Amino acid sequence: MTLLEAAAALRRREASSAELTAAALDRIARLNPGCNAMQCVMADAARERARQADVELASGHGRGPLHGIPIAVKDLFATKGVRTTGGSKLFENYVPDHDAAVIELLQAGGAVLVGKTGMHELAYGITSSNPHFGAVRNPWDRDRIPGGSSGGSGAAVAGGMVFMAMGSDTGGSIRIPASFCGVVGLKPTYGRVSRYGALPLGFTLDHIGPLTRSVRDAGAVLNIIAGHDPRDPASSRRAVENYVPELQPSLRGLRIGLPENFYFDRLDPEVEAAVRDAFRGAESRGAQTVPVPVPDIAATNTVARVILLAEAAAVLEPHLDKRDQFGPDVLALLDQGRLLPATDYITAQRLRGEMQRAFHALWSRVDCLFTPTTPTTAPLIGETSTAIRGESEDVRLAATRLVRAVNVLGLPAVSIPCGYDRRGLPIGLQIIGPPFAEALILRVAQALLPVEAAAPRL
Amino acid sequence: MTKDWKKIARASGLPIPDEALERITPTLDALEADFRRLARDLPPEAEPAPVFCADRDGDA
Repeated sequence: MTLLEAAAALRRREASSAELTAAALDRIARLNPGCNAMQCVMADAARERARQADVELASGHGRGPLHGIPIAVKDLFATKGVRTTGGSKLFENYVPDHDAAVIELLQAGGAVLVGKTGMHELAYGITSSNPHFGAVRNPWDRDRIPGGSSGGSGAAVAGGMVFMAMGSDTGGSIRIPASFCGVVGLKPTYGRVSRYGALPLGFTLDHIGPLTRSVRDAGAVLNIIAGHDPRDPASSRRAVENYVPELQPSLRGLRIGLPENFYFDRLDPEVEAAVRDAFRGAESRGAQTVPVPVPDIAATNTVARVILLAEAAAVLEPHLDKRDQFGPDVLALLDQGRLLPATDYITAQRLRGEMQRAFHALWSRVDCLFTPTTPTTAPLIGETSTAIRGESEDVRLAATRLVRAVNVLGLPAVSIPCGYDRRGLPIGLQIIGPPFAEALILRVAQALLPVEAAAPRL
Repeated sequence: MTKDWKKIARASGLPIPDEALERITPTLDALEADFRRLARDLPPEAEPAPVFCADRDGDA
């Protein structure tokens, strides 16, 4: 059942929030020991909130599609009175006195927060194998990573524990777990969703967005969390739209960009085949495939790395005298960031402007781009390198290779499942659009995935 | 020309152990080479991407 189907059942009184929440808590109790998706479960608070939601719904005070729906959020969103660790030992006892903007909005919309999801330490990595809180495991194969850094959110949604889990994305951290866990992951345009109250990693690269089991669910959540927030200096004043696409949208007249360079250069053959099939799927719904050269994505990725290394090191510098409180992979990245000169950071931001201009020109030729989200399906836990067409590649660099540039450019992108490999693992399709074209990319995504994403057998 | 990251760390007063520096040196060297190629071609008039807003009520 999708979030919107559950919301309809609540409105028709065919289900109650108390029942949905009890079912979510039961499923968490049964499945979480095997996959560690939920870092903290707020059972009592969730039951009380569900009870309140049922009272409000019964009295005709509906707050919208999230009212009474059990959800979870990544453990980097500040939750008033509830521990917020960021997946870090540094913050293992941090209890905020405020809620993050998205928590405020979700709760005002009546959502029932059942818990907080596990993540890669400090959101700085893609495995979610957390040295302090344990490895999050992929519900499709528990020997494999769920991706990251929002790995717990991907695993919780794929495992059917919650209808939606909120994530954050600095270099692919919503879309990578969406790809590896076979769910929908939406990274909106930079500035579309407030970052207030989310633990920062890279100020100019951080984005907030939902992971769901259907495209329309992602749109429904964006309807609630999008909008201007003066507490976030990058927050946009641009008007919000209705982001929930029609059930069976037409793609007639739409130009889908097929990148001629970079994105299909080094992929697992099964990933490539599934993504190429997605073009045919879009064509069958009226779209036109337009081969296009894309600006230098490898260069954009290099710029992304310099910006993120510098920004993350600046954020965490006050804590770097406590080296034993960091996992080795995160510490290595922070050390790299401390060694970069300030001039490199400024130069990277200058290059970013040039790349943004180069990419802008692309949108006169196509309406959106299709790319693979990740070049492979989910790697095994503990794997540090992966072989793609006979070449070995670092797992982190491979997983971020096709998604990282989008953060530098601030563009909206959604990952949806578009097939399965011979082991039955999900394959992700990334749909990238022009700035603030969330409604368009969700429409395209809905045309390709008009039903709930397939679930693993658990 | 590659940078001597150990000397840079010491000159900057960064207490990064030698073994940690040795582990990250190949990554930094590769990133440095890629980045320097890009920076070399950057026109001098290119300004940083806008993030800071002088008007706190302005759009980003």
